[in-house]
Amino acid sequence: MIRLTAITRSFQDDGREVEVLRGVDLSVAPGEVVAVMGASGSGKSTLLAIAGALDAGFGGEAVVAGQSLRGLSAGALASLRNRSVGFVFQSFNLVPAFPALENVLLPGLLRQGRREPREALRERGLAALARVGLAAKAAARPSRLSGGERQRVAIARALLTRPVLLLADEPTGNLDAVTGESVIRLFGELAQEGTAVLVVTHEERVSRVASRVLTLSEGRLS
Amino acid sequence: MTWRSLLALAWANLRADPGAALVDVLAAAVGAATLALFVALGLGVGDAARRMFPADARLVEVVPAQLSLGGLLGGGRLDESARQRLLALPGVRAAWPRQNLVVPVAAPEPPLGLEAAWPPGMTLQIPVVGVDPSMVEEDTRRGVPFADPAEGGAIPVVLSRRLVEIYNKTIAPTWGIPGLPAGLDPVGIELPLRIGVSIIPGKSERRILEVRVRLAGLSDRVPLYAMAVPLATVQRLHRLYNRSDPGYGQVTLLADSPADAPAIAAAARRMGFNVDRSELATAERVGTVVRVTTGALVGLALLMTALAALAIARSRAASVAARSREIALLQALGATARDVRAMVLLEALLVGGGGGLLGMAVGRGLGLLGDLAWHGLLPDFPYRPEAILIFPAWLLAATVGVAALSAVTGALTPAAAAARVDPARALS
Repeated sequence: MIRLTAITRSFQDDGREVEVLRGVDLSVAPGEVVAVMGASGSGKSTLLAIAGALDAGFGGEAVVAGQSLRGLSAGALASLRNRSVGFVFQSFNLVPAFPALENVLLPGLLRQGRREPREALRERGLAALARVGLAAKAAARPSRLSGGERQRVAIARALLTRPVLLLADEPTGNLDAVTGESVIRLFGELAQEGTAVLVVTHEERVSRVASRVLTLSEGRLS
Repeated sequence: MTWRSLLALAWANLRADPGAALVDVLAAAVGAATLALFVALGLGVGDAARRMFPADARLVEVVPAQLSLGGLLGGGRLDESARQRLLALPGVRAAWPRQNLVVPVAAPEPPLGLEAAWPPGMTLQIPVVGVDPSMVEEDTRRGVPFADPAEGGAIPVVLSRRLVEIYNKTIAPTWGIPGLPAGLDPVGIELPLRIGVSIIPGKSERRILEVRVRLAGLSDRVPLYAMAVPLATVQRLHRLYNRSDPGYGQVTLLADSPADAPAIAAAARRMGFNVDRSELATAERVGTVVRVTTGALVGLALLMTALAALAIARSRAASVAARSREIALLQALGATARDVRAMVLLEALLVGGGGGLLGMAVGRGLGLLGDLAWHGLLPDFPYRPEAILIFPAWLLAATVGVAALSAVTGALTPAAAAARVDPARALS
């Protein structure tokens, strides 16, 4: 599902080039949960952005959902993100003005080309919310939800398009222990259904559901 | 991403910060209302000025020179030969002669049915001018032929359109008599006249003719002060009263286009005639004043619209800066830079269009109030317009269009900034 080969990435900082990734090789297969751990600033989020086709300024070869990212147009990258990749962020990143269901439906609204009928999309959104146990909160705005509920809405949003790849950036970072456990269990369930899950975290508990736990340090995975 | 989806997102974004959206809408509304009011005022004043000073820029009024070498040598006389020479000038489409009747004419009694509008015992001395029927052809198509009648027949006359207005708004109120009834079609009204009668003692003719005149139409091309009859009628009366041919008092030249008029006027002057451009010059001066004033007001209104657009631009820019994470999220979920740009422009279009609609309604409402005040506070006077503010449909549409377009133009920079948001950086 993901195959990253010799990935490099550097940024300019005060006129100085800082190399964040120095030849990272990583592959995540369908049904696999891979956890990437590392200290803050080690490049975990950068790696996730490259795997999620959000950052095109890398060196090396990245193949996501069977497509090489190199050479894809901005529109094609956007379409790939929309159809094949689900994102879960530490800070949830819900749109505050939208109720939970509208947040879940966002990927459907953003789909390029012919749009799915509104009613069918809504049904799928409700099903995604039900999957994370929040069917009753469909009309609630994010400000009325707890941290765990917000993260589950974010996961439901990631599931709407039935992505082949789920990318999670510190998904339990803002959650208490019990809520964090339920989110981790959910990732395990998704992997069992065939989704490739890549989680970057610095929390050990995520490793319990992970097929592999890798550490990113000095720009390299080990 | 479909336009419907973009519109839904833009609308949701505006609803997320209703205070900012309302301020933007109000800013656009102020600009739009000002634009609508000022343009409507310009149209209203322009319309009143055109009715007060009707002028056809294609007309050149040629009159005999008061004193000229040509006149002393026998030239400069406006007669049929001169008219033919004027007609032969390049760019002249028609040359309509006009001859004053030198026999006095008086009206001793009112037109039938309008006795109330005639002061008791009044005899009205009426100047009469003969005009070429083709000059007033368009104004005399109401069933009364404008041609010299047989002896004893009613003589068709044409009056100045302005005379009726001045009679109703000035003469009638001054004399304390009713004006012409509203809705009355004056065409066909007959007035008994006595040809040869003068109110100046000793100036009446020995031969007095009792005739009737019948109104054939109203025209802007006949003098305000006189009753216009067919030229042939004047010539017949001159023969009847043994008057020598006085020549034409004026020849009206119709140019092919307004651009030809100055050259025709210059050529007529070279032929030894004078050109009376006083009415046209007045109309042109009034028109210029109206255009300059309206232009200044519209300029001011456009400036206010531009300021509103700047306010919207600043507001949208602040909104984009505050929403950079949301915008990045949309990109992560599949939005392209073009989608993001379009979404911000749609937001501006919604506030600009909404403000334009509100401003149009407010402007129209203020216009109605202004008209009410106009009617209530100002006395009736000639050419007083029914509405001082004119709101044609195109103005209402343009008001909304300009407001929306200026808001979208102002949002171009914030939209470009939104499209440049780096999702990887904004979401990390």
